[in-house]
Amino acid sequence: MTNEKNYPRATLQEYGYKDFSKFEKPVKILKHILFFVIFLMLYLSIIVIAIQSVNSSVRTSEFLSITFDWYPNILQEEDLMTAIRNTFIVSFVATSIATVAGTFFAVGLYSLEKKKRQKIMLLNNVPMLNADIVTGFSLMLMFRLMMPLFPNIFGIFTLVMAHLFFTFPYVVLSVMPKLKETDPNLMDAALDLGIKPYKALIKVVIPAIKAGIFSGMLLALTMSIDDFVISYFNTGAGFDNLSIWIYGVIGRRNLTPSVYAFSTLLTIFTLAGLMGYTFIQHSKKGKKGELK
Amino acid sequence: MGKTFKVLAIPYQIWLYILVFVPLIAMVLIAVSNYDSSVPLNQINISLNHWSILVQRQNMIAFRNSVVFAVLTTLISFVLGYFAAYHIFQSKFKNKFIILTIVILPMWSNLILRVDALNNIFSQNNIISSIIGFSPFGNITGKPIAILIGLVFTYLPFMILPVYTALEKIDYALQEAALDLGLTPFKKFWKVIFPLSIKGVVTGSIMVFLPTLAGFAIPKILGKGNFLFIGNVIENKLLSSTIFYNHGSLLAVVILVFILGSILLLTRFDKEGETLL
Repeated sequence: MTNEKNYPRATLQEYGYKDFSKFEKPVKILKHILFFVIFLMLYLSIIVIAIQSVNSSVRTSEFLSITFDWYPNILQEEDLMTAIRNTFIVSFVATSIATVAGTFFAVGLYSLEKKKRQKIMLLNNVPMLNADIVTGFSLMLMFRLMMPLFPNIFGIFTLVMAHLFFTFPYVVLSVMPKLKETDPNLMDAALDLGIKPYKALIKVVIPAIKAGIFSGMLLALTMSIDDFVISYFNTGAGFDNLSIWIYGVIGRRNLTPSVYAFSTLLTIFTLAGLMGYTFIQHSKKGKKGELK
Repeated sequence: MGKTFKVLAIPYQIWLYILVFVPLIAMVLIAVSNYDSSVPLNQINISLNHWSILVQRQNMIAFRNSVVFAVLTTLISFVLGYFAAYHIFQSKFKNKFIILTIVILPMWSNLILRVDALNNIFSQNNIISSIIGFSPFGNITGKPIAILIGLVFTYLPFMILPVYTALEKIDYALQEAALDLGLTPFKKFWKVIFPLSIKGVVTGSIMVFLPTLAGFAIPKILGKGNFLFIGNVIENKLLSSTIFYNHGSLLAVVILVFILGSILLLTRFDKEGETLL
């Protein structure tokens, strides 16, 4: 009977519990370091471009001294300015059309039966998933075959059409989940209160999904401004956007540092714009909180 | 929402049918024809003579390069991208918009310019080595590792975003339940979180694999022309004095086969492309 007291007590380890807590801290530090390295690598090229934009040497292999001359010089570089203008014209036209029309298309698709919608969504994803080179090449062939009818088709028209082709899916895909989130009674309520369906769409549904429209627009613009491959195949002689122009000049190794200056400016403005937007959103939420 | 707006989908259906199918069908037809820039449109005939380019040594190597680099890039992006997405997911920071911004911001700078900047610092004498005194990457430009680093860190955002979206959709109660039922944090991740995020992984892998497979600018700039990818072969067909539309089409059709396979794979996991963004 007294032996019972001497039975050894099982420790947590004997139940199969392994104490890893002493590893927790080093692993955590390691994780933070790895995360930092990944982000550094993502931003490495941006950092290098920024340094090159303030380098007084034209050569990219050496750093002489800091200068900001390349920034005003952007305006002097005619080829660069033309390329920038072309890029912005194409991107803004394509993004505006894609955002407005894409939103209405998404509403239309949302009203369809589920089976049919899934089928169309599959098609919708083709431009996103298809390799740029296949999309670009096949569109070029189609435009090429249309040339006997429209001899001067290659140029801004084909470029905008090609950009529309791959920006629509992003808008549709961003708007669709927001539509699914909206209260289905919202539309009925609006109709019961006596406004016409299309007015209800603009006054009630669109405001409810505007976050989706905005992110779709942002994605479309990002894809459109940065596109190289599809534009490369579908532009006409003399209508170069920034990517095509840089690709051509890199081969000759005489890229003006003003290109780096422009790229850095674009990054800074984008960052400032997005930070500003987040800040406004944040302070809006704060105000709502106060009212409650 | 009512049936009133069904009509709004019709223009998009027409647009998609025309711009998805017509160019692809034209491409497939041209792939089995003799059409190049020296052949007038009314003399196009069916021809399979140029199919021999598929077994040309140079093109076989280009295919192998494309596939090997695409697979490696996808695997590395998966490991790093999943880690980054999971790290963001676990951090207290819950403002998704900021995360999205930080991840896609590099994509706002021109791709070609970014790759050229990488090419610059991969060489022996570069702008960083001129400041800090040594070259952080040594002299790797023109080597396979340079192409690989360039590809991974160009397409990594395409992996991080879908994985993060998939992770964010996981109900937090499931994680609590897993811990309550006695799983260690690692087992919780392996048995609960990872299987639920597989949708995002598949989407991300495809979004990385496809542009890598078909890309031609990055290998051309970072590989200094030492490594021919299938995209470079297609580009060269269009830059030669006689533009071989049929050769280019044939090679593009081969890439298309890979893509159709990927899309079929994706639709098994994700019916409406919800994780694509």
